[in-house]
Amino acid sequence: MNWMWLKFAIANTLRNRRRSLVTVTIAALGTAALLLAGGFALFTYESLAEAQARESGHLVIGKPEQFVKDEETPLQYGLDDVAKLRAQLLADSQVRAVLPRVDFSGLVSNGDKSVVMIGLGVEPDAEFSVKGPFLTITGGEVLGNGAKGPEIMLGDALARNLKAKPGSSLTLLASTTEGSLNAMDVTVKAVFSTGVPEVDKRLIYTDIATSQKLLNTQKVSSLGIFLSRMEHTDGAQARIAAAAPQLKVLTWQDRAVFYRAVKDLYNRIFGALGLIIGVIVVFVVTNAMSMAIIERTREIGTLRAMGTLPRQLLRTLSLEGMVLGGGGAIVGILVALAVSIFLYTANIQMPPPPGRSVGYPLYVNIDAALYIGTALMMVSLTMLASAFVARKTVHMPVVDALAHT
Amino acid sequence: MNNTHATPVVELRGVHKTYRLGEHVIRALQGVDLSVQRGELLALTGPSGSGKSTILNLAGLIDTPDSGDIVLNGQTVNALNEEARTLLRRDSLGFVFQSFNLVPVMTVAENVDYPLFIAGVAPAERKERVAAQLAAVGLQEHAHHRPDALSGGQRQRVAIARALVKRPRLVIADEPTASLDSHTADQVLDLMRERGHAEGAAFVIATHDSRLTSRCDRVVSLLDGRLQ
Repeated sequence: MNWMWLKFAIANTLRNRRRSLVTVTIAALGTAALLLAGGFALFTYESLAEAQARESGHLVIGKPEQFVKDEETPLQYGLDDVAKLRAQLLADSQVRAVLPRVDFSGLVSNGDKSVVMIGLGVEPDAEFSVKGPFLTITGGEVLGNGAKGPEIMLGDALARNLKAKPGSSLTLLASTTEGSLNAMDVTVKAVFSTGVPEVDKRLIYTDIATSQKLLNTQKVSSLGIFLSRMEHTDGAQARIAAAAPQLKVLTWQDRAVFYRAVKDLYNRIFGALGLIIGVIVVFVVTNAMSMAIIERTREIGTLRAMGTLPRQLLRTLSLEGMVLGGGGAIVGILVALAVSIFLYTANIQMPPPPGRSVGYPLYVNIDAALYIGTALMMVSLTMLASAFVARKTVHMPVVDALAHT
Repeated sequence: MNNTHATPVVELRGVHKTYRLGEHVIRALQGVDLSVQRGELLALTGPSGSGKSTILNLAGLIDTPDSGDIVLNGQTVNALNEEARTLLRRDSLGFVFQSFNLVPVMTVAENVDYPLFIAGVAPAERKERVAAQLAAVGLQEHAHHRPDALSGGQRQRVAIARALVKRPRLVIADEPTASLDSHTADQVLDLMRERGHAEGAAFVIATHDSRLTSRCDRVVSLLDGRLQ
């Protein structure tokens, strides 16, 4: 039964082909724009989420105070007896690695001048294999376990400031956990860039042992927990928090200030864009349908005289709008797919975002939910818009409709 | 007339109807009584504005009188709402228009099929009845053509087939021959007469054309909203 109405609706869209073509084209462009903008936003969220998870670990475990209070002495809220906790965490099948880190700060000096630095003590082999290529090494070789003496890697702007090259000797100065000042001679192993100039001016990496010796402690600041999959984050957090009630387990999202800021901003920008595109498409379809309906007033009167109910006509006219909107949605989906696939292969670089020194590849995600949602929105909006413009004509007195010229 | 004793197909009793056209009030019908018998071919004649179309609209249930009763197959329809009148039109009335009013995007067969489709008749039966109607009006070879491929006379024959396919008791025809040349008009009128008698459907035809009146069973002339 419905097929006849659909067939009639399709035949009606072909009456004025040029007008229908323009309408479908605009609906298609709108759909493609929504899908590409949405896909780009999703790609950005995913990249930032991965970057954050790679940087901090999917989960970060530490003493509750570590995350809320400022310490009075270094590592005041650090973790003791890390080996036992690590073994316990690694027993979980979804945990791929547990990396300790020691956060410290102080001065780094080349003998002539001293510069404020922020230090990170890590387990080099595990850190660099688990995290993958998150740093660009611009000179020297990455830190490794089993170094002969204390070694560091430093940001390229900091290295330039101190005129340091791989092989140079520098001195680290920091307060120990007892509050006295400690100094330590170290060798520069490598110079790196994180892509964030502000960070490259301050950051140094060293191994855990060197940092603990500098601070005169056995504690670490926190443990980063790396899971086998991003989706395991929430489940693993609940399990680990239940197993270690005295400690606090944060997810990468809790730490991801930049991720949240970008997501909030993009959601608003692309939400407004989507709204504007939706309004344009609805207006174009409404306009095409109201012209089509006015032209067919007498025919509508004829069909009403022959006993067609207004709601049957509303249905076929909504279907006609749906054919325009749905046809546009299908074409738009094909365009968006083609552009997304092209971008995956073309490797086009985006310029560096504010506060960064390196660009990133432009990809657009192909997300099933986004595609289905956009297509459903197009179809339902165009159906509703058509029904809205048709309601007056289908309810007008038959005599008046028949007399319409 | 045959069956004069039976219930009339449609009856107008003391019907008044007034229109407003801008500033003017047009008294289209001023107390009309008319009854149409089963299978009858009734011609309404009269000058423009005499009320012919108004009678057709009222008998066709697409308009309502200001006063008086419309009785269709013995049922008074004044009180029915729009939906009930639509369904009554669907099930028991056929329409033939001056400019044919076929749906251009449907084939000839689909146009004839449409009334059966909206009435919910089973597809197999629809197919059979459509083929029979097209054969009866001599257009079976044109079943899959679009109306714009046909001549005016052929289009009006499609319209007659479309009006009769649902086996109505009454067909309303407003100037059905006015768009046709006189030879074709004669043919179309003969077809209406023949098909109407064959199907037992009454035709109420509004016409200016005095030559047609000789072919009708009865002629009623109107002047200023009154029967003469």
